[in-house]
Amino acid sequence: MLQYVVRRLVYGLITLLALSIITFTLLQNTGGDPLDRLKANPRITQQTIQEMAEFYGLDQPATKQYLTWAGNFVQFWNYPTAWGRSFQGPQQVQELVINRLGGTARLMFTALGLAVMIGIPLGIYQAIRQYSFFDQATTTFSFVTFSTPIFVLGIGLQIILALKLEQWTGVKFFYTSGMNSTSFSDLSFGARIGDTLQHLVLPAVSIALISIAGYSRYQRASMLEVLHSDYLRTAKAKGLSRRSVIVKHALRNALIPVITLVSLDVAGVLGGAVITESIFAWPGMGRLYIQAIAINDWPIVMAVVMLIGFMVVVMNLLADLAYGWLDPRVRYD
Amino acid sequence: MTDRPSGNEPPVYSALDEAEGLSVEPVTQWKLFKTRFVRHRLAMLAAVVLGIILLLVLFADLLPLQSPTEQLSDENGRIVNLLSPRGEYWFGTDELGQDVMARVVYGGRTSLTVAVLTGLMVATFGTLVGSIAGYYGGWVDTLLMRFTDLILSLPLLPVAIVAAAWLREAFEGREALSLSILLGTLLWGTLARIVRAEFLSLREKEFVEAARAAGARDRRIIFRHILPNALSPIIVNATLVIGIAIILEAALSFLGFGVRPPEPAWGQMAANGGRLAVGGSGAWWLVLFPSFALIITVLSVNFLGDGLRDALDPTQTIERK
Repeated sequence: MLQYVVRRLVYGLITLLALSIITFTLLQNTGGDPLDRLKANPRITQQTIQEMAEFYGLDQPATKQYLTWAGNFVQFWNYPTAWGRSFQGPQQVQELVINRLGGTARLMFTALGLAVMIGIPLGIYQAIRQYSFFDQATTTFSFVTFSTPIFVLGIGLQIILALKLEQWTGVKFFYTSGMNSTSFSDLSFGARIGDTLQHLVLPAVSIALISIAGYSRYQRASMLEVLHSDYLRTAKAKGLSRRSVIVKHALRNALIPVITLVSLDVAGVLGGAVITESIFAWPGMGRLYIQAIAINDWPIVMAVVMLIGFMVVVMNLLADLAYGWLDPRVRYD
Repeated sequence: MTDRPSGNEPPVYSALDEAEGLSVEPVTQWKLFKTRFVRHRLAMLAAVVLGIILLLVLFADLLPLQSPTEQLSDENGRIVNLLSPRGEYWFGTDELGQDVMARVVYGGRTSLTVAVLTGLMVATFGTLVGSIAGYYGGWVDTLLMRFTDLILSLPLLPVAIVAAAWLREAFEGREALSLSILLGTLLWGTLARIVRAEFLSLREKEFVEAARAAGARDRRIIFRHILPNALSPIIVNATLVIGIAIILEAALSFLGFGVRPPEPAWGQMAANGGRLAVGGSGAWWLVLFPSFALIITVLSVNFLGDGLRDALDPTQTIERK
């Protein structure tokens, strides 16, 4: 077991190393010098640009730049200088990223919370009432949501629930961008909660809808498999009540695969945050990422990619461990 | 699919059929597949819808459509931009005065090219890696599978974005090709795993042993004996990858790393229209039509994939009504 964990951690480290090399190489070969904007400014002399390039180490060969970056990056405890400086100004990358982490976390936990609370019970109910009207209708709905790109869903929600709803009712229910209103600090406590929710609902729901579709489909299939298993037939034959059969025998086993799915989805949603945060102008890591790529501010891009990659590795490992812990039939080798 | 009972073998009757006197026809794999697939009504419908979409997109030149990139103007020479749907322009016109219907049809050409190319690349590469790893085993297997694991554990979207930014410069003007290379490179891992698992079990079967005893070489055993038996999961997975590719292409286009205008693509049109619609122009038709085309296509691909899985998987029982 311990051996298994250690081996997985080593693979994880290799993955992260490969990820950093791939991303770094791609960024190096993508056109656009990080200092392009400075060079375009006639008031900045050649001298200054030269000094800037030296300051950021841009005059060094790429391999050297990578090694310097990697050496500093792993020493993340040297807050806030470890992850380098943004090319856009005096800001430290570590500070920038950690400031944005809160926004992403708020969005992600709300969305995943919603998805778990709705998706899993939905799947269970669909399986118990297989082929009923409710099952058919919700399964079709899941299929449609699952086939919709998240940005279409987000834009649709913005148009219908924010713009049109406001036109029809004259009341502003939801905001389409940002995390808080500009007047946030002047609001009373109650109004602050309201304002937060008005901003949070649409982006969280658009992420949640897609995850709900995934979870419920998976939960339904897993529940159906268990419902048709031999030990469940035994439980029924013993004369146990329907409730006891479903809750005690079926549910416990049917939940195991979904727990894996949910933990893997955390990483997926985090990567998908790039899109959601762009649609809703949400001040999170994903938006920072897109903005940084546009101007080739690579220390930021690298930091965000590595954080997401780290989450993927950790969640993959946790998913496998949880699976083995919950289902004693699984063996590690 | 292969009709397995070939040559002059006597037809095989299943005991059940004979007992009930239902059938005297031999039940071939192909026939089983057809029965199961036709039973899956949604998959049938999806196949028909996809067929229609493919025809429309392939023969777009023959349709009485405007040019997708021409700025249209009325008789006074004024550019007709942002017209809502009406008799003349069924899907309206966009902010540059281009016909949305023509762009949806031609955009389908771009989006489907990317998707189908990606599907083909994934099928080829995934099958190759999976079959070599599964057939030879040993260090070859370990090496290839570690590599597959590595690809599978990269964060898909962030890496795709960085790579798309790079590839777009390398393939200036041929974004459809660059996107399918990108998606093909990132998506083959799952199929490789599936094919490897199939090969691991199939290579121990008697017919493989018989082929080897008859002196067949590795290449012949892999391609002529084992691969045809592992086709089902490959077909199903390649189909599902096509759906994923359409969605990813759309996502990349939304973020500005996909197909560049004026060449249309569904994701790019929906994204662009979305910005305008949310920005207050109220031009809902710019979002609705490309999104609708995209969703219908992906939905059909997914239903088709599901139906194929049910029909091709011999362990499935014909329970579904």
